[in-house]
Amino acid sequence: MEKTIVDFVKVLRTAEVKVSPAETLDVMAAIEFVGYEDRALFKNTLSMLLAKNPEEKETFETCFEKFFTFDDVMQAPVAGGSPDEAEDSDAFEDENSGNNPQGQPGGKGSGQGSGNPSEAEDAESGNEDTPPPTSALGQLLLQGTRSDLMVAMAEAGRAVEVNQIVVFTQKGLYTRKIMDQMGLKALQEEITERQEAADRGEQRLAGKLKRARDQLRDQVRDYVEKQFFLHADEHGKQLREELLKKVKLSNLEKRNHKDVQEIVFKMAKKLVSIHSKRRKTHKRGQLDIRKTLRHNMQYDGVFFDLKWKSVKVDRPKVMCICDVSGSVSNYSRFLLMFLYSLAEIIPKVRSFAFSSDLGEVTRLFQSSNLEDAMAKTMRDYGNGSTDYGQMLEDFKRNCMDDVDNKTTIIVLGDARNNHGDPKAEILREMYEKSKRVIWLNPEPRSNWLVGDAEMKKYGPNCHQTEVCNSLTHLERVVSNLLKYAA
Amino acid sequence: MPDALLARAVQPLPVALPNLFKRGSPLTLDRDEHLATIEAIHSGLAGLNYISNEQIATAVFLAYHLDKPVLIEGPPGVGKTELAKSVADMLGISCIRLQCYEGLDESKAIYEWKYGKQLLYTQVLKETLGEILDGAKGLTESVAKLHEFGDVFFSEEFLEPRPLMKALKEEAGCVLLIDEVDKSDHEFESLLLEMLSDYQLSIPEIGTIKANPDRKPLVFLTSNNTREISDALKRRCLHLYIPFPDADLESQIVQARVPEVPAELRRQLVTFIQALREMDLKKVPAISETIDWAKALILLHTESLDADLVKQTLNVILKFQEDIESVTGEVQMLTNKALKGS
Repeated sequence: MEKTIVDFVKVLRTAEVKVSPAETLDVMAAIEFVGYEDRALFKNTLSMLLAKNPEEKETFETCFEKFFTFDDVMQAPVAGGSPDEAEDSDAFEDENSGNNPQGQPGGKGSGQGSGNPSEAEDAESGNEDTPPPTSALGQLLLQGTRSDLMVAMAEAGRAVEVNQIVVFTQKGLYTRKIMDQMGLKALQEEITERQEAADRGEQRLAGKLKRARDQLRDQVRDYVEKQFFLHADEHGKQLREELLKKVKLSNLEKRNHKDVQEIVFKMAKKLVSIHSKRRKTHKRGQLDIRKTLRHNMQYDGVFFDLKWKSVKVDRPKVMCICDVSGSVSNYSRFLLMFLYSLAEIIPKVRSFAFSSDLGEVTRLFQSSNLEDAMAKTMRDYGNGSTDYGQMLEDFKRNCMDDVDNKTTIIVLGDARNNHGDPKAEILREMYEKSKRVIWLNPEPRSNWLVGDAEMKKYGPNCHQTEVCNSLTHLERVVSNLLKYAA
Repeated sequence: MPDALLARAVQPLPVALPNLFKRGSPLTLDRDEHLATIEAIHSGLAGLNYISNEQIATAVFLAYHLDKPVLIEGPPGVGKTELAKSVADMLGISCIRLQCYEGLDESKAIYEWKYGKQLLYTQVLKETLGEILDGAKGLTESVAKLHEFGDVFFSEEFLEPRPLMKALKEEAGCVLLIDEVDKSDHEFESLLLEMLSDYQLSIPEIGTIKANPDRKPLVFLTSNNTREISDALKRRCLHLYIPFPDADLESQIVQARVPEVPAELRRQLVTFIQALREMDLKKVPAISETIDWAKALILLHTESLDADLVKQTLNVILKFQEDIESVTGEVQMLTNKALKGS
């Protein structure tokens, strides 16, 4: 049973529930007290020890149900497979029949089920009109209980290491492997033998066995499917996520947006947990007279415990100006998504969108969900050729008063100004007034000075310029933003 | 009280009895009885008008048998703090509470030196110094004599125990409630780790203070999820999430807490509250609000809900003007639904 727990922990880990070895040990210790008999109790115990926040609890719930449920697997196939499953099974049929002739002769196969001799004998006495099946699997199918069969299936599954399954195309392979392990060959052999026999009872038995075999195949396939969802699905997802993090955002296809959104939330969450601690930076050398006086009263007013001034690192006040014209809109989308996912640690984000005229979209993003807000922003501001000069002018007119020495301004855009007036002097003004101006450019650095790009003029008026074209870049930028907020 | 007396009477007995109970000491008898099975916990808490569900009872059971603290999370007002208090009541032991807030530090949570007393002590020492050093020749000899004298200055006499240490020193065991850990600083969380995993605290000047190994305190931590608790802390705890109760459980809770409410009214108000929780509100009413409302309705001699009455008492269950305004329009509909539901 310990192995089962370890397996389950592995499943949880692939499903992104963080479980430490110490927690696994805790579970073992706890099980000594609660035992396995009471399922609800067992589940509650595991849930308390392994899943430690509401989201993890939810994941745990599904994983537990998938992992520890056997009965459902047994009931579903009785109703018969759904049509699309039938197609699958045809493919197997071919495979199997191709294999049949070479099947090894002899009654008992490599079956390792729980069909023990005594059980078979019992059945023999009870079953008069049809002779008992001789192969181990046949006995198990016709006479064993469902749980016996399930145990055999699980054991076979473990023997062929079904938990190593990685991609869905392996499902067929593992179904076969498990069937073989359970003694399919011997069963096939028996069916053919009995079908050829003249006795009606024999033939009836053959029919029965055949039906049972087909049912079993469905069950095994279900079982493998479940195992696949448990072990491999999340693994594949992780691979995909790694890939998506590195891909250029403008190359993202629409169907991936949802995945990316998930990743953004995940990254944001990580950042939140790293940065939710408000650091104090100590300015050693500056004595805090008031604090020292107050603190040293208890020592009779003798100053021997000195207190120094410290500064709390404030949450950054962020103003985010995003180019939403065609080429850059995807980047803006994810930057905004990122910033708004961080609402917990950077509560004051004001966002502006422009292609030529600048408009504030803060309220829009706060009140509606990202997809809608983004769509509306695109509709309202996305048209027209980019004009950075106009944007800066608008910013100066509307928002310059709100910029103070705690504000970080992020500009996201390719700085392609269609040869218009760049008005870099306004950016200079922003540079002087704010704490930091960060320019994020999705183009590679080598393209920054080519064509109508104005980075040459804008660059010196920023505290920091960064290439930013994938999620990894985005994460780095936002993380830096939080780190150096002081 | 008699329990405590009994405990005191039994305490001095040298314990060498065979392992009758898991903890090996007859002292734990009544404790063990209460905590022996999950049903016992369930009914024990119910006896104190705390209606638990299976998860809650399991958490208490495991906390005791595994010596692990319980981290309770959930929306405000679902009875997180109440659980700790009820468990203390059930076991007849004291409940030591540490309310967390930003800026809470070790001098308020663990211990502090009694500076005044220490000062006084040095004064006294100064006067008697002559006697102690009597006959000592030279500095080395004097210092040696002083060392012999013993270091009382940093000893337990001068220690002012704060909640965490008090909990460790409680010989008969206790319930330690660390309320709203999420409100404290990160540093404080780390401070708790030693206490939570080993039930001991290290004081540099004295050494380690350990809890009575047979009577470790039962520790409950509560969090409102205003921020994520660190993994290190979570790892050491059992994690219990208490959600809003379903209608059935809530009805039982109201019955236990406000028994005067007639069954019909109870059903109505529970249905009403459950419907409110479905709505998009700034703060949805919790169990504590349901109970308050039930009490208020009793004071107003209500037999059955009606729209006007609900409107007038809406401020008992909703704590934001915004919410009250948005609900007021729906009251008629919600009340009808509550009245109609079987």
